[in-house]
Amino acid sequence: MGILRTILLRVVYAILLLVAVLVLNFLLMHLAPGDVADTISQSMGGADQEILDEIRVSYGLDQPFIVQLGRYIANVAQFDLGYSFFYNQPVTKLILERLPATLLLVIAAQIAALIIGVVLGVISARKPNGLSNYVVTFLALFGYSAPVFWTGILLLITFSLNVHWFPVAGMRDVTIEGGFWVHFIDVARHLFLPAVTLGSIFLALYSRLTRASMMEVLGSDYVRTAKAKGLTSNQVVYKHALKNALSPVITLAGLQFSAVLSGAVLVEAVFSWPGLGTLAFQSIIARDTPTILGILFFSALVVIIGNLLTDLALRLVDPRVGGQK
Amino acid sequence: MTWPVIQEEETPEAQHPFTEAWGMFRKNKSAVAALGLLALITFGAIFGPYLYPTDPFEMVWMPFSPPGQEGFLLGTDYLGRDLLAMIINGAKVSLMIGLSAAVMTVFIGVTVGALAGFYRGVVEEVLMRITEFFQVLPTLLFSMVLVALFGASLPMITFAIGIVSWTAVARITRSEFLRIRELEYVMASRASGASNLNLMFGVILPNALPPIIVQSALMVGSAILFEAGLSFLGLTDPNVVSWGQIIGSNRQYILDAGYTVTIPGVAIFVTVLAISLVGDGLNDALNPKLRQR
Amino acid sequence: MKHILKGIVTGTAAAAVLATGAIAEDSPRKGGTLITVIATNVRNLNPAVQSGIVTGYPGAQLFAAPLRYDEDWTPQPYLAKSWDVSEDGLTVTLNLVENAVFHDGVPITSEDVAFSVETIKAHHPFKSMFAPVTSVDTPDEHTAVLTLSKPHPALMLAMSGQLMAIIPKHIYGDGQNPKTHPRNTENVVGSGPFKLVEYKSGEHVILERFDDFFIDGRPYLDKIVMRIITDPAARAIAYENGEIHMGAFESLPRIINRLKKVDNLTVTDEGYGGIGPLDWLAMNTTKGPLKDVRVRKAIAYAVDKNFIHKALMEGTASNSLTGIHPDSPFYNTNVEGYDLDLDKSRALLDEAGFPMKGDSRFNLTIDFGWPGVKPQVEYVKAALKKVGIAVEVRASADFPTWAARMGEMDYDMSWDTVFNWGDPVIGVHRTYSSSNIAKGVWSNTQGYANARVDELMQMAAVETDPAKRTALYAEFQEIIADELPVYHTNTLPYHTVYNDNVGNPPLGIWGTSTPIDMTYLKN
Repeated sequence: MGILRTILLRVVYAILLLVAVLVLNFLLMHLAPGDVADTISQSMGGADQEILDEIRVSYGLDQPFIVQLGRYIANVAQFDLGYSFFYNQPVTKLILERLPATLLLVIAAQIAALIIGVVLGVISARKPNGLSNYVVTFLALFGYSAPVFWTGILLLITFSLNVHWFPVAGMRDVTIEGGFWVHFIDVARHLFLPAVTLGSIFLALYSRLTRASMMEVLGSDYVRTAKAKGLTSNQVVYKHALKNALSPVITLAGLQFSAVLSGAVLVEAVFSWPGLGTLAFQSIIARDTPTILGILFFSALVVIIGNLLTDLALRLVDPRVGGQK
Repeated sequence: MTWPVIQEEETPEAQHPFTEAWGMFRKNKSAVAALGLLALITFGAIFGPYLYPTDPFEMVWMPFSPPGQEGFLLGTDYLGRDLLAMIINGAKVSLMIGLSAAVMTVFIGVTVGALAGFYRGVVEEVLMRITEFFQVLPTLLFSMVLVALFGASLPMITFAIGIVSWTAVARITRSEFLRIRELEYVMASRASGASNLNLMFGVILPNALPPIIVQSALMVGSAILFEAGLSFLGLTDPNVVSWGQIIGSNRQYILDAGYTVTIPGVAIFVTVLAISLVGDGLNDALNPKLRQR
Repeated sequence: MKHILKGIVTGTAAAAVLATGAIAEDSPRKGGTLITVIATNVRNLNPAVQSGIVTGYPGAQLFAAPLRYDEDWTPQPYLAKSWDVSEDGLTVTLNLVENAVFHDGVPITSEDVAFSVETIKAHHPFKSMFAPVTSVDTPDEHTAVLTLSKPHPALMLAMSGQLMAIIPKHIYGDGQNPKTHPRNTENVVGSGPFKLVEYKSGEHVILERFDDFFIDGRPYLDKIVMRIITDPAARAIAYENGEIHMGAFESLPRIINRLKKVDNLTVTDEGYGGIGPLDWLAMNTTKGPLKDVRVRKAIAYAVDKNFIHKALMEGTASNSLTGIHPDSPFYNTNVEGYDLDLDKSRALLDEAGFPMKGDSRFNLTIDFGWPGVKPQVEYVKAALKKVGIAVEVRASADFPTWAARMGEMDYDMSWDTVFNWGDPVIGVHRTYSSSNIAKGVWSNTQGYANARVDELMQMAAVETDPAKRTALYAEFQEIIADELPVYHTNTLPYHTVYNDNVGNPPLGIWGTSTPIDMTYLKN
């Protein structure tokens, strides 16, 4: 099977998956009591039946369910997620404006967790019975066991209120003027605490899996052979063992996209990060249906793309993955 | 969240599996300590309300009385309610949600995984597609939508957590079934005319249990965290008290009455940590290859 | 601040000179970027079609209104250099300043005023503001004449703050629905002292000085940054760290008291009389035990206002006895206040025919629309338990769930936060008018009907003599306090926070929903 065909198949399949996500979410919103007309009429300080009916017509809410669903899917196929009356903007625009902030947060957190996790894992794998192993285990478990928003609040109080090392909220300081690097450093300073908070949940996963697979690889025949050939311990660990141990870690990281997005919702709430999470929360409270549907759709899209990228990354790290699923 | 459960090939055992496992578990000192702690927390959740009968909703003193002063071990919250009473009563709710969501997860996950792994073919294809579908859903967002739309009652919250969390169990169960169904003793049972149901749940499932047990134990922890997250965002039943809810409703007082947030946070942290450590111990104990190390 | 509404009948440009003279003591510095904060995401920048304080702050900077009010409730010239109300109260003439232009350089004319009134009438939720306006005539470019079907003293306040934004006809009159017009959030062309630089949903609104603003030398600031920070604790830290110069509408008592202790910060509740935010316990007078006024009174006697003021509000909120905000000139303090009296409460419940049966007398539910008032709701539950009323708190995770319950009047009690919005005609009448009792209408959800109250409101709405008007509202408030469709407990403790660097912060009646062209940075 050619690689192109594999990719094509996966794309077709991803699209089917997305359609299924759309249908389920649309159905859910339809089943719920009350609708967007209620929200709008409230924002107008009350409305009479005539206005309510008018809103329902303009939203197509008077049509049978199947017609509404069909229209919606047809619109989404043209990248039109509808208009949000609540935000007075097209949903696609609204989401695309927020998406970069969330992606930045999520990717920074994942990379931080991966790097730190792998390093911790390697350290503890090389001395499985040493003190460092216990320290690593505890450190990693702390992030996993503490509620992420709680970790965030504690970090915020410690590093923003008490020692002023990092700014409190938002993604950048708009009053700063300067070139690219000035802004880069500014965003990095804002990003640090949220990314560490979000990454802390996943530290445990990556460090423990690295440790386990390292120990397995270190015990395997070909590493023993390599050692027998006279390679130094460091060479063995970093050139051979780690490379082989990485692929399960990457697989796992790929599976976490949905979990990272979930964590991001909470972290964004704590740090007023201007991403999809804060948008989602506000939309859910206001039941801004088009925006909620749009965000669920985009999140699924991000997860699917994340999975595809993981596949690609795996092929790079471990060419053996090629044919199998 | 999927916890990495390291799966290994099974090797024949001489001792009774349970004795052997307990022997292994006992060697993991932190797991034993954690188990003791969990027993204590569970005891507190069940009997605490009788031993310390203060109503968690009653205003017993001035608001924001700090811990240890004026007779309140953990202090009072923004309404002057006894934080200790809230923590004790919250334990019950948090643990109940954790347990019932985990049970739901295991029930759906094992059923889907077992059917897929046992029947293979079209059944497997369809079930695994459904599993993948649920994996793609953004878990917390989807639960938030469910709770917001259909009401923040405890059963709804439990359901919202369970429905997005079962996929890991399903995948593990399936892969175990795929492996075990080809083993000799299963073949033998099949040849001797055992029914499919019997094969699935009488023969294969018991042998597939170790990783499932580990995963389920960890599910309890992540369900508690999940509930805390929903509560933090205000998606919670105001008529019951859970740890997450205490954090959520005291969040705005964090700067000046930090203990009202720190204490329930520590409760969650300690409980989930204990569960993770027990899960670790179980993994060591039930995972035969690691035993040889 | 209990001044009688002044200047209702006529106003002249002379008043403007006085008003600006008041701040002359320390001469304002020009320039600088003021960093401010908004607690909720901004969704619309056009106050002509969107109500609410979140739109009000950027909206009042982007768009000018005909009038502005000083802190004594006296109208001052703004886009209208003078105005005149006819003897019979049926025509209001606005004389616009002549050099005013929109941000794109197009002159502001009476046509734009007429268009704005028309747009607000059609699309703004406060229908009562301009309902009596039958037509707006434009005899010349700088004169607009509003013709009324009946005297409408509320119009004066409705022509100020964020309530009457003058929007450009050549932009919004292009046939698109103004309510959903794309220019409500991007490329906004306004008439106010600041123009839009950037609006990023969930992140910030940035405005800069409009150099051709119609008042010479103003605004003082070069730039205003409005950051959106939703978490109150994060906002508090940002104030303390000096990341933010100023913020308004802070309402969490704990945070307010914390910030009051910070050296270089000033925290004040001045400046919210026009907005008039009130917290109250609404009771459904059409359902179950609450139909009986004695039961409603029993509840009022059992809910300890003192506890609410001291423990929940920590002294940051004022007492509020009637539906009119205590800062309003029409406020009447001489009404029943319902001090805590559990015995009286129990006696009233017995008398109403609800004796104790086992643990309780009867069950009620209580709802709440936003998480900020959860402590109050939980307190009511605990307080009413003492007199034998078992209360269940109903969660409504999302807003429509709650709004639908209120709209359908499917509730017993609800903790609400409602704003006066200037004149009682705009924000007070709606809650007590029997004509608002209808499903789907989101006012008077108590189902309260009293013919005398209706009559008083109708009379007050058209009464042009301030003293007579005050007397009518005084009687109105006595009846409300006696019949308790709503148990009024306290003002919502809105506070403005600003640091020492901020000169002349907006502390008039409209808070920050007013042009801050006179605010400056000291260094």
